[in-house]
Amino acid sequence: MVIAIPNCQGRVSPVFDVATRLTVVRLKGQAELERREVTLVEALPAGLARSVVELGVDVLICGAISRMLQVTLVHAGLRVVPRICGEVEAVLGAWRAGTLGTPEFQMPGCCGRRRDERPARCRKRFRHQPQSRV
Amino acid sequence: MLSNLLDCVPDGVFTVDAGWRVTFFNRAAERITGIRRDEAVGRRCCDVFRASICEHACALKQTLATGRPVVNKVVYIVDAQGQKIPISISTAILKDEHGRVAGGVESFRDLRVVAELHRELEQQHSFADIIGRSAAVRQIFEILPQIAESDSTVLLEGASGTGKELFARALHTLSRRRQKRFVALNCGALPDNLLESELFGYKAGAFTDARRDKPGRFARAEGGTIFLDEIGDISPAMQARLLRVLQERVYEPLGGIEPVKTDVRVIAATNKDLAQQVRDGRFREDLFYRIHVIRLELPRLRDRREDIPLLIDHFVARFNRLKGKDIVSVSDDVLARLMEHPFPGNVRELENIIEHAFVLCRGGVIEMKHLPPDLRGNRLGEALRLGEAMTLRAMEKLLIADALRRHGGSRKLAARELGINASTLFRKLKEFKQITAARAGKA
Repeated sequence: MVIAIPNCQGRVSPVFDVATRLTVVRLKGQAELERREVTLVEALPAGLARSVVELGVDVLICGAISRMLQVTLVHAGLRVVPRICGEVEAVLGAWRAGTLGTPEFQMPGCCGRRRDERPARCRKRFRHQPQSRV
Repeated sequence: MLSNLLDCVPDGVFTVDAGWRVTFFNRAAERITGIRRDEAVGRRCCDVFRASICEHACALKQTLATGRPVVNKVVYIVDAQGQKIPISISTAILKDEHGRVAGGVESFRDLRVVAELHRELEQQHSFADIIGRSAAVRQIFEILPQIAESDSTVLLEGASGTGKELFARALHTLSRRRQKRFVALNCGALPDNLLESELFGYKAGAFTDARRDKPGRFARAEGGTIFLDEIGDISPAMQARLLRVLQERVYEPLGGIEPVKTDVRVIAATNKDLAQQVRDGRFREDLFYRIHVIRLELPRLRDRREDIPLLIDHFVARFNRLKGKDIVSVSDDVLARLMEHPFPGNVRELENIIEHAFVLCRGGVIEMKHLPPDLRGNRLGEALRLGEAMTLRAMEKLLIADALRRHGGSRKLAARELGINASTLFRKLKEFKQITAARAGKA
C-alpha cells in the first residue's frame, strides 16, 4: 500500500490544494519498504490529482482539502483521509497503529461539524481504517 | 470586555501567542470558518485557519518578523466543509504590558459578500455583454437600443481591441433581426477575388473547381445582420460592388447572371479614419456616406480607465469558469500597474494580460510576478520604493523612459507631461543613446 502525506517542514500541510511537497511511503504490513519526497508542481485540481495518481498512491492523508479536489481524487480511485494535522512521522505511526482517529490528529471543525452539532461523528471516518491492509 | 466588543464586529478576528497557538477567536471567525471557538483556541493557527498562504507566505509570520502590518491581502481559506472562501486579511503585532511582542492578531473579511456586490455591480454596468460604467460607455448604452431598432447601416469606428464586433453583436441582439443570423467577416484579411466570392457566393462553373453553387455571407445572413470588419481596407473595385448592394439591395453571385435581392442589415467597422481616407482619395465618398448613416465611435481603454477594475473582475470570473481555477482578484500593486498602463491594444490587451496571469497563477490573487515581463518592469517605481541610490542623470533617464512607456512611445505627449520641449526630449534621448553606445563600445 502506498500512503502519501503532504509535508510542510515535517508537519502535515495545512491546505493540500497549495502543497508543494509530498512524502510517499510504501508499506507492507507494518514494515516501511520505501520512502521518497516528491515535489508537486501542478496547480489545477485535475493536474494535481493526476500527479498523485501517477505516483501510485492508494491513500492520501492530508489536512484541509477543497471539496472539488477531494471529489476529483476519490473519482480517480484514491482513498482520501482529510483534515488531519500533526507531525508527519506521528501521523504515519498513528495510521499504522490505527489510532489516527484520536483528537490530537484531527483538525478543528472535523467532519464539517456545525456549531450546534455534537462532536462524535469523526470516528466514522476511521471505523474501517485498514490497520492490517497491505 | 474587549472580547465582547470583538464579538460584535463583522470581521473575523483571532490572536496567536508566540508559539502560533490560537488564544482568541471571535464570533465572526467562527461563522466564516465554521469552527467553534472552543475547538480553535489552543490549536496551531494554520490548522484552524487553513489559508492558502499558511504554508509558504504566512502573513502573521511576516508581520512578526518585520514588525510591519499586512493590510488587506487577498487569500482564500478552506472551511470545515471543504469550501474555498475568499477573504482579505490584515495583521498586526500584539504586545504585552511591558511592550514585548506577545504574538499577533489577524482580522479577516469574507469576500463572498464583496464578490456578490461586485456581481450585482457588474450586472448594473453591463449591457449585452459590454462592460463599462464610464461616461463614454454609458452614453453608448443609452443610444444602443434606438440604433438597434432603426435598421439603418451603422459604422463603428474604434481602435483595434475596443470591441467593435461585441458592439455589432449587441446591435444585432437588440434588433428585430435577432432570430436570424449574425455573420461576421474581416474584409481586410481576404484578397479581392476571395472576398467577392465570400460575400456574394458563386455559381457552379464560375471558375475551375466551382462544381456546385456556394452561397455567400450575404445569403447566409439573409434577414439578419452582416458585420463587415476592416471596411477601410477593401479595394476600390470591391467598394464599387458593395456600394451597389447598399444602394439597390441586390448583388450578383460570381458567375451568376440574375441579381439576387437581399434583406440584410449592414454594420461596418474600421480602425482607420474613413473621412481622412475619403479626403486622401482612398475610399469612395458615395460608399462612405452610404455606411455613415449612424456612426458610433468606440472609446479607447485609456480614455475610460474607470472601467478597468470592472473589466478585470469580468475577465477573472470568465477565466475562472473557462479554466476551472479559483482566482479571487488582482493585488493592489497589479491594479495600480494596470490603471497606469496605456493599453495600446485596448480591452483585448487587458484580456490577454489576465489570461497570461491565469497561466502562471496557481490560485488566490494575481500578483506582479504573474504579469507579462514588460508590465512587471517598472524600474522607476521599484527604485523609488527601494530607496535605491541613483544619480540625477539615471533618475532623469528613468523618468523619461517611464513617461514614454505610459504614452505608448509618443515623444510629444511624454515631453508635455515632463514639462519640457519635444526637441529637448529628442536631444536627451539622443544623448542617452550615445552614452549607451559608448558603454557598449568600451565593453
